[in-house]
Amino acid sequence: MADLVIQNFSRRYGAFVAVDDMTLHINDGEFVTFLGPSGCGKSTTLFSIAGLDTPTEGRISIGGKPLFDSQTRTRVPPERRNLGLVFQSYALWPHMTARENLAYPLRLRKVAKSVQQSRIDHALSLVEMTEFAERYPFELSGGQQQRVALARALVYQPDLLLLDEPLSNLDAKLRERARVWLRELQRSLQLTTIYVTHDQFEALAISDKIVVMNKGRILQIGTPTELYERPSSPFVADFLGSANFLDGQVVGQRDGGSVVRLRTGAELLSAQHIAEGAQVQLAIRPERIVIRDGVGDNTVLADVGAEIYLGSILQYETRLGEEMLRVQTTRRLGEKAHLHLPPEAVMLYPVN
Amino acid sequence: MTQPTGQGLMQRTGDVRPDPMQGRDYSRLIQWAVAAVLVVIVAGPLIPILLQGVLSAPLYSAENSFSLGNFTRLFAASGVGTMVWNTVAFALIATVIAQVVGASMAILIGRTNLPGRAWMGEIVIWPIFVGHLVIAFGWVTMYGPSGYISMFVRSLTGVQPWDLYTLTGMGVVGGLTLAPMAYLFCIGAVMKIDGQLEDAARSVGASPFRAMLGVTLPMMRPALVYSTMTNLVIAIEMLSIPLLFGAPVNISTITTFIYQNGLKAVGQPDYGLVGAASVMLLAVVLVLIWAQAGLMRNAARFVSVKGKASRVTRLDLGRARWPLAMLLGGYIFFFIILVFLGVILRAFVSFLSPFVPIGSALTLSNFQQIFDSESHVRAILNSLTISAVGGAVGVAFALLVVVVAMRSEFRYRRALHSIALLPRAVPGIVAGLGIFYMLIWLPGFSILRGTIWIIALAYIMRYVSLAFSSIAPAVTQIGDELDRGARISGASWWRTMRDVVFPLVKPAAFAAYCLLFIQFFKDYVTASFVTQAGSEVIGTSMLGLWNNGENGAVSALATIQIAVTITFIIFARRIMGVKIYG
Repeated sequence: MADLVIQNFSRRYGAFVAVDDMTLHINDGEFVTFLGPSGCGKSTTLFSIAGLDTPTEGRISIGGKPLFDSQTRTRVPPERRNLGLVFQSYALWPHMTARENLAYPLRLRKVAKSVQQSRIDHALSLVEMTEFAERYPFELSGGQQQRVALARALVYQPDLLLLDEPLSNLDAKLRERARVWLRELQRSLQLTTIYVTHDQFEALAISDKIVVMNKGRILQIGTPTELYERPSSPFVADFLGSANFLDGQVVGQRDGGSVVRLRTGAELLSAQHIAEGAQVQLAIRPERIVIRDGVGDNTVLADVGAEIYLGSILQYETRLGEEMLRVQTTRRLGEKAHLHLPPEAVMLYPVN
Repeated sequence: MTQPTGQGLMQRTGDVRPDPMQGRDYSRLIQWAVAAVLVVIVAGPLIPILLQGVLSAPLYSAENSFSLGNFTRLFAASGVGTMVWNTVAFALIATVIAQVVGASMAILIGRTNLPGRAWMGEIVIWPIFVGHLVIAFGWVTMYGPSGYISMFVRSLTGVQPWDLYTLTGMGVVGGLTLAPMAYLFCIGAVMKIDGQLEDAARSVGASPFRAMLGVTLPMMRPALVYSTMTNLVIAIEMLSIPLLFGAPVNISTITTFIYQNGLKAVGQPDYGLVGAASVMLLAVVLVLIWAQAGLMRNAARFVSVKGKASRVTRLDLGRARWPLAMLLGGYIFFFIILVFLGVILRAFVSFLSPFVPIGSALTLSNFQQIFDSESHVRAILNSLTISAVGGAVGVAFALLVVVVAMRSEFRYRRALHSIALLPRAVPGIVAGLGIFYMLIWLPGFSILRGTIWIIALAYIMRYVSLAFSSIAPAVTQIGDELDRGARISGASWWRTMRDVVFPLVKPAAFAAYCLLFIQFFKDYVTASFVTQAGSEVIGTSMLGLWNNGENGAVSALATIQIAVTITFIIFARRIMGVKIYG
């Protein structure tokens, strides 16, 4: 019903391109996260969907109803889009109590007083804020304000819920709990939701689908697992989790994969198939590297450098010739270590 | 946290319409209307002035042609060179004195341990509230050729100690009248300087005095530059002091030239000449305001506060403490308290002279004269009505202009912003003349002729920039996500303004109202070309009485003006909780 379709959407500010020719389809009921560093265009996209920013070009529609179309010069004002938006700063109106904040969108829709009351009560109980209904925003903590803001965005049955880094002002513990809670709430409402964040852990934990963006372009769309396991570019590999990068060249094929020669001369097998002779960037996540007791297949000998204690795990900075390789392990390492790089964990990216 | 259940909330039961818009959305209509009204009230008076400058005959004349004849006539006219020189000399002397006095007072009061600085800071800004005309009367009463203090000093020394009816005298009085403005700008800057910056200078080896010279003074630079330009503009366009002190001895400035040729001329006023002079004055002020904006561009270099208020460290004046306090106290006593006292005292006596005991001259006849005259009573009531009602309308209108210019998607909002700030560069006398022309020139406006509403309109036009600038910062402080939240919830732009922005800027709007009330109440220059019998205001009536030599009645009227202003300020501060100038 409420599929969101974005076609050839661009947003330029003079010479600066904030979003460049973006096309995206979001299915009804999906929880989609826009993830990327600041300035990647994720918030611009969110506000363009909301109608609070005007695209330079393109088309945005919900459930077949056009909200913006540069060709037909259609531009539905934000107040007619029936969307819910939770701001990073929550944007609760300071001169209204929590209840009045929720009542405002219902009043605008000329909803009968009795219906207003029951809907507000329902929405407040949903976010567990019933007892704070008569408080003013300044009398609420950040977490409480955030929940009232969410209730305000839900109380009038929006077609789409937009969340602009709503958890970024909460402290770490609260944020983790709010994540789970938000996810469950969205599932039970089955409301199409777009979530904007620059926090990769949040994105992985909460989304059905993640859209990774950088410099105004979509780099990859996929489920959290797909993105983490099979990042399509070094940027995605590095932005979601972390990754080591080594330079190499494909020197042959074996077992359906490719053999890569590193700058040290060592050869490693990757499960990925890349044409022979290609210059590649080899990527592997620190936690996928296995410590071996001696030489073996796909194993290199590295000099062990600094140790960083991360609590549940140890991270070492090791050297492979000129290049650095971070390794996570529970074992304490000596001066040298044999590192096994499983072929299925070795990702290859051709260098242009 | 418990498992939330949200099914019911999202189930469409038909009791919540997805499209909130019912009825018409007036947002666009309102935006266009605000823009149209602003353009009319700003351009309405300006265009006829500019036209009159280049028209060969009076504006309303049927036979007219464009020419630069007015300007050639103006520059050829005898005495015009002297007039320009007088204007420049007066403005420069006044500005220099105002800046030196104002900045010194700001440092002494805001940054040192001067005894009595708190109450001195209060008194120093009094003159701002009552306007130059009243201050000028006070000076004449005390320090004029037959003033109380002048005669007293002459009786002791046998010589006339000073002569205010000279260019220098005018400049000194002008400077001391403008000093509170410089003080106000500088004290604002001085109080905001982070004490840690001076501490930092001390920690690297600067003496307290060096720290003040090296850190405090440069940090005041934007305020100094800004207030210098502002005072220069006020001095150039000032009518009161040149008219009271210069006109009797034929020292003519550009404002008295326009005033006398445009209003007081015997027979037919020379509209062309007055138009050309007005265009010239307007051009000079525009250039100064433009230069001011240019000079302020790098002001961020001197911004030291980032939200947090820090403690103010005070320089210990040491042994200079008491002498400096005496000096500032003396200044306040002689040039503020005595000036006010002169006006008030003169209102209650039949004759004010050091040789006549005040007790024997006490009388209420001056007030009697005011209250017996229908036109003077009307002037007081008119001033009150214009200030109270016109001020309210002015603030409401300025608020609309602010939200359209700063909080809407209106296509010409930037242009609107610039137009709203333009009247700041229009001298009162030019605005007054322009409004007078507008009555003749714009169809429909002639019904306002002779009413107080044309005066209210003139004041609103003249002070829309002031109201705009005093409301705009408060609107900027309201995070735009608050309006965005309302829009996304289903409110049109106009409803968002009504339900979210207006309630939140109420305190700033009140403060702007008080500011406008005070300005409207003391202004008279802008009104002087359009007042008629029936639409007098206090200022024009005072000038009329002054011309008839009825100094007692002038002082009574001035005293009434002071009393009303004080009452209003106390009311605004106590009841409405509005801060007026700190």
